[in-house]
Amino acid sequence: MSATELPTKEAHVLKGHEGAVLAARFNGDGNYALTCGKDRTIRLWNPHRGILIKTYKSHGREVRDVHVTSDNAKFCSCGGDRQVYYWDVSTGRVIRKFRGHDGEVNAVKFSDSSAVVVSAGFDRSLRVWDCRSHSVEPVQIIDTFLDTVMSVVLTKTEIIGGSVDGTVRTFDMRIGREMSDNLGQPVNCISISNDGNCVLAGCLDSTLRLLDRTTGELLQVYKGHISKSFKTDCCLTNSDAHVIGGSEDGLVFFWDLVDAKVVSKFRAHDLVVTSVSYHPKEDCMLTSSVDGTVRVWKK
Amino acid sequence: MGSDEEDFVFHGTPIEREDEIGSRKKKAVALASGNLKTLPAWKQEVTDEEGRRRFHGAFTGGYSAGYYNTVGSKEGWAPQAFTSSRKNRAGARKQSISDFLDEDEKAELEGQSLSASAQFDTFGFTAAEQSRKQAEKEQHERPSAIPGPVPDEFISPVSESIGVKLLLKMGWRRGHSIKDVRASSDARREARKAFLAFSADDNTKESSDSLSATGGETSLDPQSSEDIKFSESTPVYVLNPKQDLHGLGFDPFKHAPEFREQKRSRLSASKQVGFRKPLSMKESLFGPKSGKIAPGFGIGALEELDVEDEDVYAGYDFDQTYVIEDEQPARPSNENRLRLTSKEHNVLPGFGAASNSDFSVERFDPPKIPKDFVARHKFSGPLEAETKPNVSAPLDVPPPEDNNLKLLIDGFATFVSRCGKLYEDLSREKNQSNQMFDFLRGGNGHDYYVRRLWEEQQKRSDQSKLLFEVKASPSAQKMTAESRGSLLGESPLQRSLKEADTSASSGGSFQFPTNLSDTFTKSASSQEAAEAVKPFKDEPAKQERFEQFLKEKYKGGLRTTDSNRVNSMSESSRAQERLDFEAAAEAIEKGKAYKEVRRATEKPIDFLAGGLQFTSGGTEQIKDTGVVDTKSSTTYPKREEFQWRPASLLCKRFDLPDPFMGKPPSAPRARNKMDSLIFLPDMKDARQVSESQEPKKEASMEEPEVDVEVENVERPVDLYKAIFSDDSEDDEEQPMNGKVQESQEKKNEAAATALNRLIAGDFLESLGKELGFEVPADVTYPEVTKPMEEGNKSKGKPEASFEKRPELKEKPEEKTSSITLRYEEEKSRKEREKSPRKRSDRNNDLSSSESSGDERRRKRSKKDRHRNNDSESDSSSDYHNRDKQSSRSRRKRRESSREKRSSHKKHSKHHKSKHSSSSRYSPDDEQKKSKREKQRRRD
Repeated sequence: MSATELPTKEAHVLKGHEGAVLAARFNGDGNYALTCGKDRTIRLWNPHRGILIKTYKSHGREVRDVHVTSDNAKFCSCGGDRQVYYWDVSTGRVIRKFRGHDGEVNAVKFSDSSAVVVSAGFDRSLRVWDCRSHSVEPVQIIDTFLDTVMSVVLTKTEIIGGSVDGTVRTFDMRIGREMSDNLGQPVNCISISNDGNCVLAGCLDSTLRLLDRTTGELLQVYKGHISKSFKTDCCLTNSDAHVIGGSEDGLVFFWDLVDAKVVSKFRAHDLVVTSVSYHPKEDCMLTSSVDGTVRVWKK
Repeated sequence: MGSDEEDFVFHGTPIEREDEIGSRKKKAVALASGNLKTLPAWKQEVTDEEGRRRFHGAFTGGYSAGYYNTVGSKEGWAPQAFTSSRKNRAGARKQSISDFLDEDEKAELEGQSLSASAQFDTFGFTAAEQSRKQAEKEQHERPSAIPGPVPDEFISPVSESIGVKLLLKMGWRRGHSIKDVRASSDARREARKAFLAFSADDNTKESSDSLSATGGETSLDPQSSEDIKFSESTPVYVLNPKQDLHGLGFDPFKHAPEFREQKRSRLSASKQVGFRKPLSMKESLFGPKSGKIAPGFGIGALEELDVEDEDVYAGYDFDQTYVIEDEQPARPSNENRLRLTSKEHNVLPGFGAASNSDFSVERFDPPKIPKDFVARHKFSGPLEAETKPNVSAPLDVPPPEDNNLKLLIDGFATFVSRCGKLYEDLSREKNQSNQMFDFLRGGNGHDYYVRRLWEEQQKRSDQSKLLFEVKASPSAQKMTAESRGSLLGESPLQRSLKEADTSASSGGSFQFPTNLSDTFTKSASSQEAAEAVKPFKDEPAKQERFEQFLKEKYKGGLRTTDSNRVNSMSESSRAQERLDFEAAAEAIEKGKAYKEVRRATEKPIDFLAGGLQFTSGGTEQIKDTGVVDTKSSTTYPKREEFQWRPASLLCKRFDLPDPFMGKPPSAPRARNKMDSLIFLPDMKDARQVSESQEPKKEASMEEPEVDVEVENVERPVDLYKAIFSDDSEDDEEQPMNGKVQESQEKKNEAAATALNRLIAGDFLESLGKELGFEVPADVTYPEVTKPMEEGNKSKGKPEASFEKRPELKEKPEEKTSSITLRYEEEKSRKEREKSPRKRSDRNNDLSSSESSGDERRRKRSKKDRHRNNDSESDSSSDYHNRDKQSSRSRRKRRESSREKRSSHKKHSKHHKSKHSSSSRYSPDDEQKKSKREKQRRRD
């Protein structure tokens, strides 16, 4: 895949959020997108046609992250009101609210089977919530982090969390081990490669680091963007060929995965790019920004 | 995309506008759904303003109610004293409503009493007060032209305009609107009369007519609606009160109307918030935070401003857009700023800052620095004195005939040039009587010596000049060999040795120069080798430095000034390079291949981890630690492993087997006080030991044997031998099962299997504890069998590291029992494989010798191992394989968590991390390889 095949052409601008958009996420098959932001709403879009489908309101404060189940029936969200909301997509009702975090909740993810939600909070913990039972108590609290947990990623058997204490911690449920990879820099965002072997950690020293998950060694370092004070996202393309990172000056960077060269960079927004999300199959990308817009990029 | 087109038909715009839902409606909805209150109604508590519970239930009441909820004092109600005598009669007491009200009720009542807000009460009493206050503030804010408070005291602001006075005279009363309904019509008529009287002077009939006409019109209206009445009774300009301090008619936004709009909206917004809140809140709202609230959506009335409401994203450009106004309207918020400004001015009220002052600080000129002064201290080293350009070159004299003398002079000259003039003086003194050294005193060969010395010095100064040009930092350059030697901790032995040499040389066997070269330079072979190898080929500069290093190293002894070369490299990197060089030189010396040197330089941490020490000098060691520091910062990412126990429900939700299934909670619990007492000192010790071990573990991954040893020493195997391994298997199982059975009889079959295992393990522990011993972490049996398996298995790495352990601690007598044990196991395993159903039956048969939890576990693990072998040969799926291994490691962990109990926490951790990682990663290697290949292909 060459640089020309990267999604650098703006296809749609999704406008509607008032104030900063904090996260933009594709759903499982990439046909829809959920965005959330400072205006306490979550919006469901058809990014390929640029249409707003639905607005979900219930959050009391800004919404920081959102994630959809693989069957598109439910989604979960979290934010400044310290709660994790479990929603029904079609009716727009809140099925359950999970309370327990002592601070803002930064990130939220469904497990593979959508049976549990894992949330990462300002209170230095990861909490696992059960969606199947009616219990609103957390199934498990993982509180080995030393600082705010910024991001969480789940695999079939592991929970991976990235924290401001500079660690990426992998919790393996099969062997009951916690593996802590200390990067020495606050971890802003983590994302896992599609083959599941690497984890990409965006650090607050304006560096993305690619780690081998099995050994914990540093495979590559990606630099050039600015990421110092905002929660900005990074991800890999669906082919794992490129690394994408949003920058605080509104640019979006594409690096080659292997040799870490900046393949492409372009101005996506006027202000901080808070989130980037890559389509699971096609060459399509979502970026969200503090300027209140979400942009759909295609090649 | 195609699929959603089938699912949905789009008609028009499907967006419902959320803006239409009013806030009130929203609140009602929220109230209905219970969102507003986080707790259900029956859980909510009513508290009074001090946070005490207000109501107590009929059944729960009384415990804290006391008098607090009823009366204000402990004595309760005090009856009013009433005395009335014939002489002084008690008058009829007047009672007011306030006598019956509580304090809070009074406060409420006061809050309810209506009063005109300051803004609209232009004609009221509050206006006077307000204006006076404002004037005071203004006076504080900007010093007036006439200093002092005097004029302000004289001139009090006028609150009653002449118009008000006139109106009052006309019968208008305060608090009433001019066109009040209740205002009597005759008053109105009088007013009109008065007006006409005024206007009559101007002879403008028409205007008065028109005015009266409008007056007549409006006089009809007032009854129609309250709003209109209000707007008419108050003049228009009051609605738009002048709140700034600009001059009348001055419009700061004359040419920039958009800013006016912005300012007005800001004002009104702040006012709205301020009105809604009690006055005490105002200050906090107008404080610095308020500007940071995200624009576009405020927070609700019931919410408090919080840190989270600060808009980190838009905050910065939010403030910048405002025009900077030199004068702010007098608002309550100004008080803050006022205090600041008055502080800034630092002028007492009533005093003005003088424009010029007589007071002047007497200043002295700084001392004059001589022009040739260099702001750097020079050490007057002996060498330095000599390396100063020695202009006059002595004559070139032919060397003396005596070859020995020539050599001596040559060597001595070199040496003196290197070490300094001091050395010459010293040796001259020492060898006063020695005629060999006559050349020092102007005797035979003196001219030659002088010439040689000059040549040497010339050579050296050239060198140093060269270096000086190349490198900066002359201070380091100035360091002499002596000072450097002392810095490096080198004893000045060598010199005395040389002197001894020289003195010895007087004895006839004169070999001074050769001696020198012998002691200080090694055979040139190694140098040549190094040059041939060139470990730093890719970096010519580094290679150069390396060669220089080698030269110095093998010349040895007193290093030349060059050795302390300073260039752009930092201290730490230089130190690191030194280490590299040392390592490389060593490797070369040992005849190692170039590759290894490369690796050594690439991963210098390995050397450190190995605990190798390359140098012995004091400074060198300091440098070493520095290197470690810098390296530890560069060795991120660091990986650490811990035990983590996932909740069983979590595993269930992830469809995974719980690795800790059937195990007691990992946290060690003391069952009684005795336990904790017994275990306390041990825990402490273990922690200390483990702490001392911890850094080592991080630094080096290659010394597992050491840890194993430590652990073995501390494990009281004897206890177990005493209890269990004396006679036969049956004996050792019997006591357990007996007890287990007692407690187990009423358990049903399903629960029995799990519990059985659990209790057996616990029993072992408690037995050990009661005997006052530590329970060994690993029950030895499962491991005993392993070395034997190793023989026929030879499975490779993952097992090998793990199985070293039992070998070490195994005792010969134990072996025999273990063999029998193993035999038993083998048998049982075969049986089990034949009929798996039988196994469960037997599990319930508690009296059977084989059904103890430990035993079964052993068997199972055995089976796992066996099957694992099979599966590997079958080349079954990766996941399957991993799963097996996880179950195996589960067993290990079970053992190791027992270790934990016996307070060898960190040691067990060592082991665990080692074998669990090895067992875990082996299947992953394939993945990694494939990934690498993928990358390569992409390249």
